[in-house]
Amino acid sequence: MIAAVTGLTVEVDGRALVDRVSLRIRPGTVTALVGASGSGKTTTGLALLGAFPAGARVTGEVTVHGTRVGHVPQHPAAVLNPARRAGALLRDMARQQVRDLPRSRRRAAARQRVARALADAQLDDAGKLLSRYPHQLSGGQQQRLVLAQALLLGAGIIVADEPTTGQDALTTRRIVEQLAAVAGRGIAVLLLSHDLDVVRALADEVLVMRGGRVVEQGPAYRVLDAPADPWTKELLAEPRTLPYADSGQAGTELLTVEGLTARHRTGGARVPVLSVDRLTLRSGECLALVGRSGSGKTTLGRCLAGLHRDHTGRITLDGTELPRSLRDRSRAQLAAVQYVFQDARAAFDEHRPVLDQVARTAVRLRGAEPREAVARARRVLTDLGLAGELVRRRPGLLSGGELQRAALARALLAEPRVIVCDEITCGLDPVTRRSLLNLLGALMSRQDAPAVVLITHDLDTAAPADRVAVLDGGAVVEEGTSEQILNAPRHPFTVALVGASGRRGAAVRR
Amino acid sequence: MNALRSWIARRLLLGVLQTAAVVLLVFGLTEALPGDAAVAFAGDQPDPQRIAAVREAMGLDRPAHERLTDWVVGLLHGDFGTSLTSGRPVAGFLADGFGPTLLLATLTVLILVPVSVGLGVLAARHEGRLTDRLISSATLGVYAVPEFALGVLLVSVLALRLGWLPPTAVGYGTDLLAHPAALVLPVLVLLARPVCSLARLVRAGMIDALAAPWTAHARRYGIPGARIRYGHALPNALAPATQQLARTIDWLLCGVIVVEALYVIPGLGTVLMNAVADRDIPVVQGLAVVFGVATVLLNLGADLVTHRLAPRSGAAA
Repeated sequence: MIAAVTGLTVEVDGRALVDRVSLRIRPGTVTALVGASGSGKTTTGLALLGAFPAGARVTGEVTVHGTRVGHVPQHPAAVLNPARRAGALLRDMARQQVRDLPRSRRRAAARQRVARALADAQLDDAGKLLSRYPHQLSGGQQQRLVLAQALLLGAGIIVADEPTTGQDALTTRRIVEQLAAVAGRGIAVLLLSHDLDVVRALADEVLVMRGGRVVEQGPAYRVLDAPADPWTKELLAEPRTLPYADSGQAGTELLTVEGLTARHRTGGARVPVLSVDRLTLRSGECLALVGRSGSGKTTLGRCLAGLHRDHTGRITLDGTELPRSLRDRSRAQLAAVQYVFQDARAAFDEHRPVLDQVARTAVRLRGAEPREAVARARRVLTDLGLAGELVRRRPGLLSGGELQRAALARALLAEPRVIVCDEITCGLDPVTRRSLLNLLGALMSRQDAPAVVLITHDLDTAAPADRVAVLDGGAVVEEGTSEQILNAPRHPFTVALVGASGRRGAAVRR
Repeated sequence: MNALRSWIARRLLLGVLQTAAVVLLVFGLTEALPGDAAVAFAGDQPDPQRIAAVREAMGLDRPAHERLTDWVVGLLHGDFGTSLTSGRPVAGFLADGFGPTLLLATLTVLILVPVSVGLGVLAARHEGRLTDRLISSATLGVYAVPEFALGVLLVSVLALRLGWLPPTAVGYGTDLLAHPAALVLPVLVLLARPVCSLARLVRAGMIDALAAPWTAHARRYGIPGARIRYGHALPNALAPATQQLARTIDWLLCGVIVVEALYVIPGLGTVLMNAVADRDIPVVQGLAVVFGVATVLLNLGADLVTHRLAPRSGAAA
């Protein structure tokens, strides 16, 4: 045993974030804390680092035996100094470690230590990366850089907070392999995650948390395969496979994209980032756009909604061409194509009650009377499971899942023909995600339901769609029914993507 | 890198246009003032005939646009023209005045930067505690005192009453470095307010930087406190202070008229005052060019440093 947490309770303003949590950490093993967001995973992980929320009342004990604890936070950019180049902290740490050497040998020794840590963290082309600023690195590079810092520290324990959240299947697989390699070096990993596939692939020991308490704990195979607690069972339930839309409902061509080339401005030049020959969406249908980050999924969605206007080609709705920019679209056209953003919190004004913001859509786009709009907003919100006083609050007091429902309600008030859902389940825990997707399915099974463009990197989320279009490097490489794409992919990229997602479990472990 | 270079080029071009606009404005305004160099020269005997003769001798009877054109053509060849009142080349005037001004500015900046950064870091380190409260209230208090008031106060206490320092630089000419005692009071007055504003900016930036997650991360990974403060946190805190420093240096180079007048230092401020009083338009215009160029270059430099310290902000123009 290398560290232990005994009866840890962390209270802020009389509310227990973590309630009597105990766990033991042994070298070379992966201990996973799983649970919904807000269940106390991160607070427990930070406690191991000796960090507690401001003003917290802490009881219980955290002991770490003769080693240091490294940290790979959910957003690695948060621990990288924006004004210093990527290698600054690594160099300072190495310099601390070689202080005992004679002066003449320090520099070479420090450089050697940094190089070894970078190699261990599988950071390719490290020499060049170290002279860049953190914001010039990709998310994956930032994560590996932070891991290299923990390895250079000589940490015996590494706390990895949601390392795979928001990552596509191929990246997730790489991260899983990397963490397995870390554990293989005898380092203990405390994995905080709600991605159960990752937990299944990595963990030796699993603790299931809910509301700050550990509701179940034990060896991974027992907790994951034979859960005793009802909450664990709910968390572990299979993702939805029932189709979102009634496949018989799909009708005529509703939205068509033809000969589209979209560009982004990069340092003065306009670089093409997406080109689509032809893509159609039929009424009542759910079309999933899948691909890795940067593949052009979101740009395509933004083109449809008129949010990205630097493109050529035609986008037609019911046979009439849609203007490229939002500003040139009529009210009816604006109402017809609605967009639900990935970051629901950023998509609401934090100073006004959610209900007012949802109702505003009906006033703006459907010309409804304010009072009638509020009544309608209430009806739709109640429909989506947001009832009573909750919607009178400001967005800050709603959870991520609740806000995403409110965002969906806001789009529905426009009575749209098409809703573009951009990664709406990204960062939500399995239970919340499943209920949001069930809601989407319930919406789509109604009469006159809007067609849905579902942008996602998660194949489990894409599976219940009617059709799937796979994007890679700004092009649609394959398109077909979801059964065909997921079970019999033809394009090599789709094969790799599906393979990475399906074989996660088998790919790793020593 | 290429984008940065073209940004610098655009900024410089814009700077040239701005300087030209300043020169035109200064020319127009001095033309609009009642009286001219001939009237000022005639002094106590405003005999119209004499004034007309002087005006003709100075070339002031020619139309304004002609005089301006001549001056601009000369400037393009590096010739600042000649002073109306003394007949000396303007460049010589400027060079004479520039020495003392540059000396004062350099001394002030050399003391200003370490003192204000040190005070700001010290206050941020003890945020909310006695040290911080002392530094914060002292800087706020001193900042509220105008230069002329502080200057008069220092002269009357340190020079006249205690007799420790010479009250002014009268009689020392332009070679002030040979008489360091005469520089103490002016530099003190010049330092007073900039130290306060810079220290407060550094303090605010340091408090943010020390509370950032990456600071906690570095601390957890065993980096010593001083290294975190000066090596990791300070670069983040310096971006706003850099802009303020550029404005301060600009002020030191272009307009410490009050301090120069108070301590009788023959710097650019004195040259400017005399030239305006004599309506010596070529000298005023020469000063406008120098001040304009200094302002443009200092702000460009500050923006480049800010870009280095806050690389995410990108180059704004």
